[in-house]
Amino acid sequence: MMQINKGRKHRTRSEMKQLIDRLTYAGLFIPALISASIVLFIVFFIAKQGVSPFLPSQYGALSVDIVSFFTGMIWFQTPNVYGIFFIVINTVYIVILASLIAIPIAVVSALFIVKIAPKQIGLVLSTAVELLSAVPSIVFGVFGLGVITGWITDIATFFGTQTAGGISTAATVLVLAMMIFPTICIMSITAIKSVDINLEKNSLALGASRMQTYFKITLSAAKSGIFAGIILGIGRAFGEATAVSMVAGNAGSGPTFDLFTTTRTLTSTMLLGLKETVGLDYDIRFSVGIVLIGIIILTNLILNYAKKQVGRYA
Amino acid sequence: MMRHTKRHVKDQSLLGIVSLVSLFGILILILIFGYVFKNGAALVSWDLLTNDYYAEVYNSYYDGSLNDTEYVRPNNLSNDAYFSSRWGVAFTDDIDQEGHAVIRIVYVDPDSPLTRLLDKNTEGQTVVITAEQLLDKVIFTGNVILYSMDGAEKAAIKFDAATGIRDMLTSTEGKGIRGSIITTFLLIIMTLFIAIPFGVFTAVYLHEFAPKKSKLVFTFRRLIEMLSGMPSIIFGLLGAAVFIPFTTVFTSADGGNLISGALTLSVIVLPTIISSTEEALTVVPDEFRLASLALGANKTQTTFKVVLRGAIPGILTGTLLAIGRIIGESAALIYAVGTAIKDEIILTERSTSLAVHIWSIMSGEVPNFELASAISLIILAVVLILSLIVKIIARKYAIDPSMRG
Repeated sequence: MMQINKGRKHRTRSEMKQLIDRLTYAGLFIPALISASIVLFIVFFIAKQGVSPFLPSQYGALSVDIVSFFTGMIWFQTPNVYGIFFIVINTVYIVILASLIAIPIAVVSALFIVKIAPKQIGLVLSTAVELLSAVPSIVFGVFGLGVITGWITDIATFFGTQTAGGISTAATVLVLAMMIFPTICIMSITAIKSVDINLEKNSLALGASRMQTYFKITLSAAKSGIFAGIILGIGRAFGEATAVSMVAGNAGSGPTFDLFTTTRTLTSTMLLGLKETVGLDYDIRFSVGIVLIGIIILTNLILNYAKKQVGRYA
Repeated sequence: MMRHTKRHVKDQSLLGIVSLVSLFGILILILIFGYVFKNGAALVSWDLLTNDYYAEVYNSYYDGSLNDTEYVRPNNLSNDAYFSSRWGVAFTDDIDQEGHAVIRIVYVDPDSPLTRLLDKNTEGQTVVITAEQLLDKVIFTGNVILYSMDGAEKAAIKFDAATGIRDMLTSTEGKGIRGSIITTFLLIIMTLFIAIPFGVFTAVYLHEFAPKKSKLVFTFRRLIEMLSGMPSIIFGLLGAAVFIPFTTVFTSADGGNLISGALTLSVIVLPTIISSTEEALTVVPDEFRLASLALGANKTQTTFKVVLRGAIPGILTGTLLAIGRIIGESAALIYAVGTAIKDEIILTERSTSLAVHIWSIMSGEVPNFELASAISLIILAVVLILSLIVKIIARKYAIDPSMRG
């Protein structure tokens, strides 16, 4: 009798423990589900508000024509003229230029930090890069407006042209290059660190010089990781808003390829002149947001495809 | 031999170029610091941190008569203060943020006539002159005028000679960032309060409880990864489209507010906290779990009493990274809260964090580079100290810092 009781008691306790486990599972699943589904929420709600400028049911005669929105070269001249095409071109142009500056410098810096520099110097440089990656966007904006626009004005004067106080495509490109440099550099450092040292030794033994080995063997062995860094950096370049808005200007039409004139990017369009929180001029910013998300996803797909192609010839 | 030397020269010159190019990062860092320090360091002071942003101006006059009592100079008054025994008030010379000489009121006797001044703008309202206010201009009875550039010594003399005050202009200093500091703190606390439980629970679910290699977990991870790749301005749109309407329904808010800002920031820092926690959970040895389970603890007990304890450094790292991100965040908050600088901080109303404060003063007609640099200096100092601490923790507990989101 006693024994049966004892056994029963024991079983209920382990049942309790199992029940608690099941409750914990449920209690943890819900936050995980919410965390994972936020990104879907974002896309849904931004799309919902971003579509409204094109609906006559919402804005009547003022509703924006969707075709001219995607092909237009003028932003906000008359009440409902919003053309985003030149802004997309400007943005892509600026991001490409910034990447062309940042990628070589970042990769070479990473190579120097890991392979060439004495240990102490390497540590100082890599710490500097990490700290640079922690500098907030708004501080880059202040620096851009306070220093870089000054440089651009000087350079423009040298070439005999004028700028709007240095606020220009060139300033935007420089600020962006500085901002994506640490991202690419940090990822490249990790990639180069994980390259098999025997590869380099083999190359050196075959008579290649140190630099030949680093540039031809080490970098090509690390290219997959470096490419991942580049993808991350370019994604960041497209989405960077505050600093870009401070130095890009507010050009009403385009596209602008001149380095010394004001420009307009997708993010600066979303951020500048934000006053009212209702109405067409507010809702259209959500439409720009959808285009921005679309471009970032598209770029990611293209670059990931390119990464796979490059990786094939490792 | 010839070829060999040529190759050597080529190699060495390439080495030189590589070394020079590699200084880019540290050069930019020094330039940014140098610029911000040069322009802002002079402004960073206790006054900057504790003052209101908006100066308040008082226009007053004295209606009553003067007693014959002589006020006594208090002992704790510093030597460079000039005391008027007739009015019971003391002044010092000072310099305001723009570098102009000003007269600062440093002491007002509790019985001084200056505590019973009448407001010129509103009938019947009294104005109380307190220490820390600036004396802008006084017209005494008999048309004796005192300007702020006269200096503190002359001010005390003129006050002692005066029998009445026809018109007196005083103001609080303003241009301080007290409100933005409070807002930043509130945002940090509220955001962490929301994001840490969500992030840690999600990480624990993904790493400890979820069936390994299931399709669902794979999807969850991909979605969270996508979240960490979203630019911050998109989170701002989320805040504007979802969290602002949400908070206006449940609170008295009628537009952007600090709660919607904290909710938006929580989403932003969530991937960071999840990945730092997971990283730390990976480091906890499996023997700990097995030992705990073998001792009869169930999975819940094992996870929360044994495994999570080992993950504390990771959670701490995630928290510090999150704080850095919150302090530096601007684009998202411009949408999710607004850009109106406030001195009185209310959770259900708009106000600016330090970063958005910079945005506000830089996007006006005349950008205030000095104040922007001073605030940037404060932000940089905090953010850089945080990332150094993270580095130290990472080194101590062997967590890979390159995992951060």
